[in-house]
Amino acid sequence: MRRLGTLAAAGATGLLLCSTALAQQPDENTLVVGLSADITTFEPANISSRDNSNIARHIFGTLYTISGDGDVQPDLAEDLQISDDGLAYVYTLREGLTCHDGEALTAEDAAYSFNRAADPANNFTGNTPGFVFSSIGFDSAEALDEQRVQINIERKNPIAFGLIAEVFIHCKDSYEAMSLDEASANPIGSGPYRLASWDRGSQVVLEKVDDPNSPANMERIVWRIIPEASTRTAELIAGNVDIITNVAPDQIDAINNSGGAEVQAVQGTRRMYVGFNLSDEFAQMPGGDAIQDPAVRRALQYAVDVPSICKQLLNFECERMTGIVNPPNAHPDIEPYPYDPETAERLLDEAGWPRGEDGVRFEIRLQAGQGRYLNDRNVVLAIAQYLEDVGLDVEVDIMEWASVYIPLIRQRAAGPLYFIGSGGALWSPLYDMTDLARVDSGTNYTHWDDPRWFDRWEDIANAETEEETRQIVNEMLEVFYEDGPWLHLYFQPDFYGVSDRVDFEARPDEKVYLFDTGLN
Amino acid sequence: MTDMASDGLTTLSPQRESNFRRELKRAVRSMVAAKWPVLALVVLGAVLIVAIFGPLLAPLDPNRQNIMLRLAEPMAEGPRGATFWLGSDALGRDVLSRLLYGARISLLVGVCAIFVGGAIGTVAGLVAGYFGGRIDDVFMRLGDIQLAFPFILLAIMFLVVLGPGVVNLILVLGIGQWVTYARIVRAQTLSLREKEFVEAARALGDSTTSIIFRTILPNIVAPLTVIASFNVASVILAEAALSFLGLGVPPEVPTWGSMLAESREQLIANKWWLAVFPGLAIVLTVLSFNIIGDWLRDFLDPRLKERG
Repeated sequence: MRRLGTLAAAGATGLLLCSTALAQQPDENTLVVGLSADITTFEPANISSRDNSNIARHIFGTLYTISGDGDVQPDLAEDLQISDDGLAYVYTLREGLTCHDGEALTAEDAAYSFNRAADPANNFTGNTPGFVFSSIGFDSAEALDEQRVQINIERKNPIAFGLIAEVFIHCKDSYEAMSLDEASANPIGSGPYRLASWDRGSQVVLEKVDDPNSPANMERIVWRIIPEASTRTAELIAGNVDIITNVAPDQIDAINNSGGAEVQAVQGTRRMYVGFNLSDEFAQMPGGDAIQDPAVRRALQYAVDVPSICKQLLNFECERMTGIVNPPNAHPDIEPYPYDPETAERLLDEAGWPRGEDGVRFEIRLQAGQGRYLNDRNVVLAIAQYLEDVGLDVEVDIMEWASVYIPLIRQRAAGPLYFIGSGGALWSPLYDMTDLARVDSGTNYTHWDDPRWFDRWEDIANAETEEETRQIVNEMLEVFYEDGPWLHLYFQPDFYGVSDRVDFEARPDEKVYLFDTGLN
Repeated sequence: MTDMASDGLTTLSPQRESNFRRELKRAVRSMVAAKWPVLALVVLGAVLIVAIFGPLLAPLDPNRQNIMLRLAEPMAEGPRGATFWLGSDALGRDVLSRLLYGARISLLVGVCAIFVGGAIGTVAGLVAGYFGGRIDDVFMRLGDIQLAFPFILLAIMFLVVLGPGVVNLILVLGIGQWVTYARIVRAQTLSLREKEFVEAARALGDSTTSIIFRTILPNIVAPLTVIASFNVASVILAEAALSFLGLGVPPEVPTWGSMLAESREQLIANKWWLAVFPGLAIVLTVLSFNIIGDWLRDFLDPRLKERG
């Protein structure tokens, strides 16, 4: 027994030594962030995921920027004039801006950034062309002089300003000299950091640009890709990482009790939902035909106990969403669908999908990626269970996130049911609704085409007052609630693990901007 | 050896029956003397019973979630007065029931993959060893090429293309094992084909197929059995590893490997029962197969037999 004890002690000491040797605690000039999902590109017009965009934002500036509280702040531009017809936005750039390639950043670079992203020959599918441009009806951009750039849009849009603020400005000379392939790995912007190295699937290192006026605090930011939630937590507790995103809800206590780090919980704005893919192609699949009927979709809203999912699987008390818009701007009079499986069963019976002899109403596939959202795998399995409880036979198909699921989502070919979250904002209900700006929008993964929703965008463009806009918004949200293409879930809470070493405050919009983050 | 060659026949003469009984007695004596194989056999017997009767033994539906009762400790109260004997997992599913159902998949995959790999490898080894020349070269070089790839990498590649699923898993794991059998069978066939009893069969005008499968094959069953018993263990481990990586079976099918994978996020939160029980099940089963294989090797070794 004594020998066994000696052996165990020796083993434990060995393990401890090994782990200490392996641990690389960051120095005082370096900030290390642990991310859950891999990033795919540094091509500014192809970036679409939040993590990818968070890193890129440190390299590229934008004309204006919107703070976590929804305040508008100048970035590369210092002034904006909007034409009376609301179709021309003229931005005046700050003086003395410099690209990482040493050239001055002028209005020509800004115009180029917009036109290059819109060029169909480049076939870009990122946030800028896929979401911003399709939403604002981008027409063209032109440099009026050295400092002033004019953005022309096709139709008046009350939130065009906020959307334009998402476009990454990059530097013309360098990008004209690079092929698209080269550009995807060699970002040249004018932000406070430049890309020092990128080991795909492992880490991205950013270095501070040498500039006396730089707003940046730390010399180096290392973004490590750590897909495993428990590994991220262990790395944070060991002090090897300063900030981690997507802390697994069951690990919050472990971090808070570690003595070296704490979890910051914020009510996020990401709208988590199960989409109904209503395309003709999916209507041929099992279950795809059933969900074409709005009555079936409505019935399924009653089948899922969303507050229990929040409480049990996300460690968070949440109120179920009532639609596509975040709470402060949501429809004031709509109540969330309650959890009421009996009503769900009755409505499914009435819709013509009674239980068969085997207790099954219809089969359907539920697709999802894993590792991106909070406890996503378990949430998906729980939703499948709720749907099975009311008589569906659900085939759960959980895929690798970045390389398998996202391409499917981008092609709008996930379904008939698919689980995803869409980033939202608090500054305007229209921003959240813009996912469904057009039937063929890149973000309308559902192929929903109800004219009671899509025809109203014209009315919004023509609305004279805010009250009038709000009235139309409310009517659209009622249609979305009754017959919409989403099974409503929740606004995802965000859990950040933050080491006591750093001074970081999480934002509700998932933006991890570390310009002014420093050490305590 | 010629007696052994005809042991495969279904009707046993009184003489052979007594031979069989004698061998069986010797096996039992040898097993009891070695002690550990008896325990291993008991464990494997239990796993087999669990695998066959799992659905009857499981106290709860292994896939029935109950998120209000998630992460319950062992012996905690379950739904409708039931008990979570080994606790519940992150979705409130009964760990014991999942473990019992998991035994079925682990054993099914282990044994079937061995049959697939064994069948391909044995035929390839017999043909390569008996005919030699080009055929031999082709089979053996194919085997060399396959061995040049790390097995898990090969399995991941196949499963990504074919998609996860029990049948695909069996195929991939089986195909991954054939080379081991082919090499051993080939070596045995090379030496056996020159023996007098094979010559005699040839002189009596037996067909090549008959010589290969009825004269040579029964004589290499013993080493094959030993290899298979070790192999089951490594295949069960490979299944666990692939399920752990999310490439094994669909998420709703409980397997020991996927249970371990699901326990990862809970380990740091001290939910030990999620990892310990499936881990123990894997260790005990694999260890038992290894012990039986070890004993079989000694038992069937003619040199040790003479001493015994």
